[in-house]
Amino acid sequence: MAEGKKAKLGGACDAVIIGAGNGGLAAALALAVRGAKPLVLEQHNAPGGFATSFVRGRFEFEAALHELSSIGPENNKGGVRRFLEDEGGVDIDWVPIPEAYRVILTDSGMDARLPFGEAPFIDAIEEKVPGSREPLTRYFALCREVSGALGLLAKTASNPSPKRIMKDLKKFVAESADPFDDARRNASNVVTFLRTLPKTVDEVTLKMGIPPKAVDLLYPYWCYLGIPMSRMNFTIWAAMLIDYIDYGAWIPRLRSQEMSYAIEARVRELGGRVEYNTRVDRVLVERGRVKGVVTASGETIKTSAVIANTSPTQLYGSLVSPASEAPAAALRNVNSRKLGGAGFVVYLGLDASPVELGVNDYGYFISKTMNTDAVYGSMEKLDLVDMQATICLNNAIPDCSPPGTTIISMTTLYKPGVWDAVKPKEYAALKNRLADAMISQFDDALGTDIRSRVEEIEVATPATFARYARSFNGGIYGYELDPWDSIIPRILSEKDESYIKGLEVAGGFATMGHGFSSSLISGRSAGLKTLAGLGG
Amino acid sequence: MSELINFDGLKDMAALLELLPERKKRMKKASAEPQTGDAMAALARALHPELQRLVIADVRQEAAGARVFRLVSDMESGTAAPAVFRAGQYLSLKIDISGVRVARPYSISSSPADAADGGFYEITIRKKDGGFLSEHAWKEWRVGTKIEASGPAGFFCVEPLRDARHIVGLAGGSGITPFRSMLKDIVETGADVKFTLLYGVNRPDEIMFKSDLEAFAAQAPDRINVHFVCCEPDAAWCGPTGFLTADSIRKLAGDPAGKSFFICGPQAMYSFLETELKQFELPKRRVRREVFGETADVSAHPDYPTDAAGKSFSMTVHCGSETTVIPANSSESALVALERAGIAPPSECRSGECGFCASILMNGKVFVIPETDRRRLAAKKFDVFHPCSSYPVTDIEVKVPLDKS
Ligand SMILES: Cc1cc2nc3c(=O)[nH]c(=O)nc-3n(C[C@H](O)[C@H](O)[C@H](O)COP(=O)(O)OP(=O)(O)OC[C@H]3O[C@@H](n4cnc5c(N)ncnc54)[C@H](O)[C@@H]3O)c2cc1C
Ligand SMILES: Cc1cc2nc3c(=O)[nH]c(=O)nc-3n(C[C@H](O)[C@H](O)[C@H](O)COP(=O)(O)OP(=O)(O)OC[C@H]3O[C@@H](n4cnc5c(N)ncnc54)[C@H](O)[C@@H]3O)c2cc1C
Ligand code: FES
Repeated sequence: MAEGKKAKLGGACDAVIIGAGNGGLAAALALAVRGAKPLVLEQHNAPGGFATSFVRGRFEFEAALHELSSIGPENNKGGVRRFLEDEGGVDIDWVPIPEAYRVILTDSGMDARLPFGEAPFIDAIEEKVPGSREPLTRYFALCREVSGALGLLAKTASNPSPKRIMKDLKKFVAESADPFDDARRNASNVVTFLRTLPKTVDEVTLKMGIPPKAVDLLYPYWCYLGIPMSRMNFTIWAAMLIDYIDYGAWIPRLRSQEMSYAIEARVRELGGRVEYNTRVDRVLVERGRVKGVVTASGETIKTSAVIANTSPTQLYGSLVSPASEAPAAALRNVNSRKLGGAGFVVYLGLDASPVELGVNDYGYFISKTMNTDAVYGSMEKLDLVDMQATICLNNAIPDCSPPGTTIISMTTLYKPGVWDAVKPKEYAALKNRLADAMISQFDDALGTDIRSRVEEIEVATPATFARYARSFNGGIYGYELDPWDSIIPRILSEKDESYIKGLEVAGGFATMGHGFSSSLISGRSAGLKTLAGLGG
Repeated sequence: MSELINFDGLKDMAALLELLPERKKRMKKASAEPQTGDAMAALARALHPELQRLVIADVRQEAAGARVFRLVSDMESGTAAPAVFRAGQYLSLKIDISGVRVARPYSISSSPADAADGGFYEITIRKKDGGFLSEHAWKEWRVGTKIEASGPAGFFCVEPLRDARHIVGLAGGSGITPFRSMLKDIVETGADVKFTLLYGVNRPDEIMFKSDLEAFAAQAPDRINVHFVCCEPDAAWCGPTGFLTADSIRKLAGDPAGKSFFICGPQAMYSFLETELKQFELPKRRVRREVFGETADVSAHPDYPTDAAGKSFSMTVHCGSETTVIPANSSESALVALERAGIAPPSECRSGECGFCASILMNGKVFVIPETDRRRLAAKKFDVFHPCSSYPVTDIEVKVPLDKS
């Protein structure tokens, strides 16, 4: 090829962002709206990371998103919507999800449809399991307090002393204008928060006198957190539950790809740059300070600020260069943490309408039982997992596929190592066997026959997520949120665990944990920290 | 709520503090070995290498002026073995022809078993007069020529969870190539499907892989049936004649109900068969067609803005930090214009399907054939277009991605 024809990235920028996933895009947006000029380098050919879609035949499949929290309606916007719309000027057509979920437990035959909103949600459980109302009402009040306090803590400076936390929490309680005020003005509420902080979900929930069958109906969102309730930190759970039940859940009309393209377009409009097909292979570090990045094609871009939309495991394990600049403490940090679940999704385009198929709900949690330890255990084998979280997009967006057709996607999780020994030769047959079993799992639970109406099928595995989003070992759920590695201890340790100057992490592996909202919020905060470092 | 609360604040604080000491303790205990890679990244790379460095190990003449090129991995350049593929997939070959880097998709005509364990791929190229790459291949490619290829790509594969147990393949011209791979695969794996192949040709001497196809049918007589259908038979021809029509398909493959149809052939054959197959009233899920590459004559499309035909426009191209202005013929895709100018954005399918060439249309208009517009909805909303399947109808300004390599 002609010499000198090869286009280069070149150009000046204030910060390099590695990856255009939710975290990277949010970081770029936070910087760009404040006048900084970020350069986003993305290895794939479209923005979004997991927040993407793909077309097969006459169907466009959502790759990941079931539902986004913290969006809320126009008149009661959640934090993420405020960030994107009000602060970022990003326009997205948000569509509400009609109901919280339908849960089907195949061992016990339990089948319930739960709506959003605390009162209707509790009513629905009470109807299935009489005697649940009173303990659930108390439970929600408790969750509400904890969730409010978490929001506050996220705003305090890093590494506050316990004394400082107490002070902040008391102030929060005193200033709160929440309907729960009377309860909150009691200093005991601060204690409630602190008391539940080191606890797992089971430790708190199972002591509240909620009938076990009602707990089964309450727990399905555990799928979004991906570790059993016996280890899941209660604080995070409470915050997530309240967020979904209060604000409802939302999706962009044109799949999550609408959100990623919208943010990307806005970043470019504000003077940022986004380059695709550009993988970063090295982050140059000298004496503990970021100096630049090197792309796969060998181009060096000098910068004093890098935001990595990758896992810290990859960042310190293979990106930081020279390797001797990866501090032992950083390596110990990432090695001590447990990688969350790896994804497995079956996408189906069906040539019958949802009504014809008898698939009338948007979100399904289909599980053998709600014994989350047992279900989690089933993720350790290369076999059908006991649980699938399934959505039927048409039941939120009726015209998302041509008339008389339906889009369904079924998601489950594997422990990442489970796929390690899979050989390329066996790969296609393995995908097929597992997808086959998941289709039966769905048809058996609902009494439907989607199997015979498949017009398009695609299956994503941990290797697919590693390929398109470079997620570490196919992990889609960041690091597991054990109590010691849940969000509070992460926030409290941020300063201690910041190892390289000018280097921030954004996305599902950052402080706020995985999920669309969390990765967007963590991106925003990485952007703000970077801006502070730039002296802006 | 107070009944829930243990007022022992001190104890609670202590508990909070225990989380941090525990965190510190765990981190101290952990290994300081860097994790330099992971198994899923390795599996993804093995399945979908960005680039395969191959070398021609054999060249064979086939009927109809086609050549079969056998490609093995070029160990010297670091490709250890050809990547696993599924019968029906293609490779995008990346070739430098006198300073112009182009890419062309070619279906793999050999079987997955042939490629296994450091084996080979075969691609079969039919000579096209005036064809840019095919003429180059005829002139330059011999044993030892190094060829760069994408990983295996494409979706023209039999999928047991979707397709009927009985598949009818309708092939035309060089569209036989993926079917050769599929039939060989069925023989070699003993797959539980029935496959009836109808191969339409103009003249008897155009039948490619005749003896191979007959051998596959002989090796699996209960599963594979092959029929050659000839338009312009000679005196010696004793098989069915004419086009592949609804009638001949029904005669040779039986009742179409409950069968899956796979079609691969020239563009004209698709349009013809589309009308023919309508008579069968098959659900859409029962008919699959391979993409056919760049459109031969875009101005023939009924929606094409006629005043743009035969014109040359200017195209302002932003790529990385560079900006160039190049000419673009309205009859050629924007991708071809870019390649002619020595700008080689990534491409694989050249049919609008894979999204590899996705670019931003900043100004001006392009014509996209609605039937093959496979862009995402959000891509359309945000002016993303696929140059391989878009034809300029005004001067345009675009931002194209850098080539990865
Ligand atoms: C199937 C599935 C279902 C899910 N469902 C939900 C849901 O319903 N609700 C919810 O809230 N969350 C859900 N999640 C989780 C959510 O998608 C993720 O937590 C979130 O999208 C993670 O975003 P991220 O910022 O970490 O970026 P990622 O999506 O991981 O993106 C990282 C980006 O960086 C790029 N990149 C990485 N390394 C490099 C490099 N070296 N050079 C250049 N580019 C690089 C990648 O290509 C990628 O684009 C789901 C995830 C999956 C997979
Ligand atoms: C999925 C798929 C599988 C296929 N499998 C096969 C197969 O198995 N066997 C087979 O024979 N074919 C196959 N094809 C077709 C194949 O990809 C080529 O299109 C065909 O071989 C013609 O290529 P060519 O370069 O020789 O011809 P051309 O028609 O010259 O190439 C196409 C374009 O190149 C442009 N061009 C001309 N000059 C230049 C220049 N100087 N710089 C840049 N561009 C220029 C032309 O304008 C034209 O639009 C397949 C196509 C697809 C989509
Ligand atoms: S090369 Fe596949 S869409 Fe353009």
